[in-house]
Amino acid sequence: MRPGRIALWVLAALTAVYLVLPVFIVIPTSFSASSFLEFPPKEWSGRWYENFFTDPVWLDSALASLRVAVLVTLLSLVLGTAAALGMVRGRYRLRALVSGLVMAPVLVPYVIVGLAVYATFLELGLTQTTLGFVLVHTALAVPYVVITVSSSLVSFDRRLEQAAMSLGAGPVSTFARVTLPLIAPGLAGGAVFAFVTSFDEVVTGVFLSGPDLTTLPVQMWSGVRVQIDPTVAAVSTMLLLVTLAVFATAGLLRRRKS
Amino acid sequence: MSRRTMVAAVAGLLALTACGGGSGGADAKELTVVMWGGDDQKRSVAAWIEPWAKSKGVTVKQDSPTDYAKFRAQVESKKVSWGAVEVEPNFAVTACQNGWAVKLDKAKVDTSMVKPELVGDCAAPVLEYAFTIAYNTKAFTAENHPKTWAEFFDTAKFPGKRGFWKYATGAIFEAALLADGVPRDKLYPLDIDRAFRKLDTIKKDIVFYETGEQQQQLISSGETPLIQAWNGRIFAAAKDGQPVANEWNEHFLSYDQLVIPAGYPRADLAMEWLNHFLSDTKGQAQYANQAAYAPVNDKALPLVDPQVRKELPTDPANAKKRAAIIDYTYWAANYDKVTERFNEWMAR
Amino acid sequence: MTALRRLGDGWGMLVLPLAAFLLVVFVYPLASVLARSLTDPEPGLGNYAAFFDSPVYLDVLGNTFVTAGLVTLVTLLLGFPYAYLMTVARPFWRGVLMAAVLVPFWTSLLVRTFAWVLLLRDTGVVNALIPGEPVPLLRNLAGITIGMVQVMLPFAVLPMYATMRGIDRRLLRAAEGLGATPVFAFWRVYAPLALPGVAAALLLVFVSTLGFYVTPALLGGPKDVMIGELIVQQLSGVLRWGFASALAVILLLVTGALLLVASRLVDLRKMIGSGS
Repeated sequence: MRPGRIALWVLAALTAVYLVLPVFIVIPTSFSASSFLEFPPKEWSGRWYENFFTDPVWLDSALASLRVAVLVTLLSLVLGTAAALGMVRGRYRLRALVSGLVMAPVLVPYVIVGLAVYATFLELGLTQTTLGFVLVHTALAVPYVVITVSSSLVSFDRRLEQAAMSLGAGPVSTFARVTLPLIAPGLAGGAVFAFVTSFDEVVTGVFLSGPDLTTLPVQMWSGVRVQIDPTVAAVSTMLLLVTLAVFATAGLLRRRKS
Repeated sequence: MSRRTMVAAVAGLLALTACGGGSGGADAKELTVVMWGGDDQKRSVAAWIEPWAKSKGVTVKQDSPTDYAKFRAQVESKKVSWGAVEVEPNFAVTACQNGWAVKLDKAKVDTSMVKPELVGDCAAPVLEYAFTIAYNTKAFTAENHPKTWAEFFDTAKFPGKRGFWKYATGAIFEAALLADGVPRDKLYPLDIDRAFRKLDTIKKDIVFYETGEQQQQLISSGETPLIQAWNGRIFAAAKDGQPVANEWNEHFLSYDQLVIPAGYPRADLAMEWLNHFLSDTKGQAQYANQAAYAPVNDKALPLVDPQVRKELPTDPANAKKRAAIIDYTYWAANYDKVTERFNEWMAR
Repeated sequence: MTALRRLGDGWGMLVLPLAAFLLVVFVYPLASVLARSLTDPEPGLGNYAAFFDSPVYLDVLGNTFVTAGLVTLVTLLLGFPYAYLMTVARPFWRGVLMAAVLVPFWTSLLVRTFAWVLLLRDTGVVNALIPGEPVPLLRNLAGITIGMVQVMLPFAVLPMYATMRGIDRRLLRAAEGLGATPVFAFWRVYAPLALPGVAAALLLVFVSTLGFYVTPALLGGPKDVMIGELIVQQLSGVLRWGFASALAVILLLVTGALLLVASRLVDLRKMIGSGS
């Protein structure tokens, strides 16, 4: 290996450690017996896990978050991919305005968005509803989808599509069999962003939540002024384990295939 | 994706959307209470509200935490779902002046058993707490630690960082003035210039905290061995085995209040509960036992576990050491202005 | 149909659903709140005057952009080599690198922020490893940067990786075959191809960082207040909604102006996909 490549690996390894470090601090913290976040724990216990599974508030909010995030991912993938295709390939009026509009949700501080949609949604009866959350979170998530999908479309070689068409494929099957697979990494990236943007969104969530519907991050945030409930560490640890399990399975499957 | 899967996906999307949420409906016997959240709220609701609700056949709904922007937005859009809301008293005054909160009907809510200073036109007190001198017991001993705000500001005699809340109503100005020699009964209206001059003397040693959690982390780790804290947080940390203690001398008495947002359709029910709460010595004592925040009705005091009672600001032995009750009428009038100066001072 | 035709061609029409969605869900509610900057507490430009009256607000605004710039720079320095390595690593190691990027996503921002507090405080894990006096890593710019870069890195690495993965590496070898040094080939052949993705990622990081609230509030000190925090304080604390709206409008205007200047320097349209 060239020295440059070694330096690159060292830097990447350090970056990886930096990325996961706070996450792995959370694991032991979640097993602490103390009612404060504590590292390293002085005594161990599983009480925060028990709390998660016995307190319906936690489970309900976790399910609500999951439901909202899945819907947001689907909706923003559909809207975002269509828009990205239009923006990269199309010809339309007011380009600058449309680009600005699409980027705006990232630009405007979430608190302002939160207050704005709260005032409007109160009138419409959309606060504390799945639909209300999905609409707002989609607006916040969709720029990430547009950006990731467009950047994979920009480096996309359209001659591949022309080739497929000239071989007799219709536009729909060309899109499904040629275009989609090639921009799949962009779509996957966009989907992850959209899901996470929704799943971890607390600032507008605080406004939209209430006794009828509360999402997980809002539940985590709700007592923060007074004291953090270490159950949040337990929830994070479990989410982490699920993610790692999904990765390991995907990795194994891929290995078996090849 | 084929057309069929597309249709299925959209149908699924709609179905999923439809199954969430749902609204409270117009149940006449439903009361929504809003507090700061967390374990503390659970204990409050269990002690203060649930027994009453059960006996009256009322359904209790909870929301948290209190957010003044949400409060105001609900009132302005005339869609009020919050019933009894725990707030800081300066907000209660502001909300009352702006017509955002319901004026309490004193015929329906009997406030005669609580301190008159703690009652507003729109608000009744819900708990009392204190800003104490909290110290780390590894850094200082029970005999040798700052016992007055003057000593708290004396970094030569008691070295180490000092913690304060980063909001103007955290009694930081009151403490600075007392430390600078202003007599207890001459604190208000606060001489903010003088307070800043005093604060300047220890500015480099000040650490500002945002949350109760940070308060506990800062002091028990010893990072900030002295902190102007909420007595109940320190009590909880000590109970958890952390090396921390409250010094009660020269504490500032503070309190939270309950208000009812204007336009709440069941304001009468909320007042009915409020009236019950103020006289509910048993419920107040039960909460005090767990949180070490004091009952607002002094008759509840004898019902509190003696071990906890000595950690309450209303315990006679502690009450004698009180420096002042925080004057939230002053703060309602001056909060904006002082906050602006305070931010500027902290940033420089 | 002819009216529609004038709006754009077939592909261009695909922008419409999203545009309509955002106009209804996002722009309409936002406009009514931002309008408050001119009407609340009284009609006029009072809120804007108040902003320029006190140096502290300009400081906060400047501070916000400096912090966002710093976070973006560090994210680039760490993220670009990382994404590049992902494109050349063997599948197993690529998987590991990818997992390290995705893992933080599943930990709530709030929890991660508190984990940083446990790690970075004077009596924390990191300072235990550094001999001598504790290094101040919390309640200052260092703390904010450490916390925010960790949050933003995945948002930068994934789009960079998506772009770089599509670049034909044979071009590099061709350039080297023609006598270019590896470094020269990289900068003249590879970097320009990677630019749209990298620039898009950085734009995303910079702009998202501007409105951050939770991380700076918990990891920063009183000298590092960012505008998001100030807006929250004005909105929920002192309830000056008109002023809070004015702050948001000012942030939007300054960011817009900055993007306009940037578009002179880099082809921004490429980054948000309006190229071709």
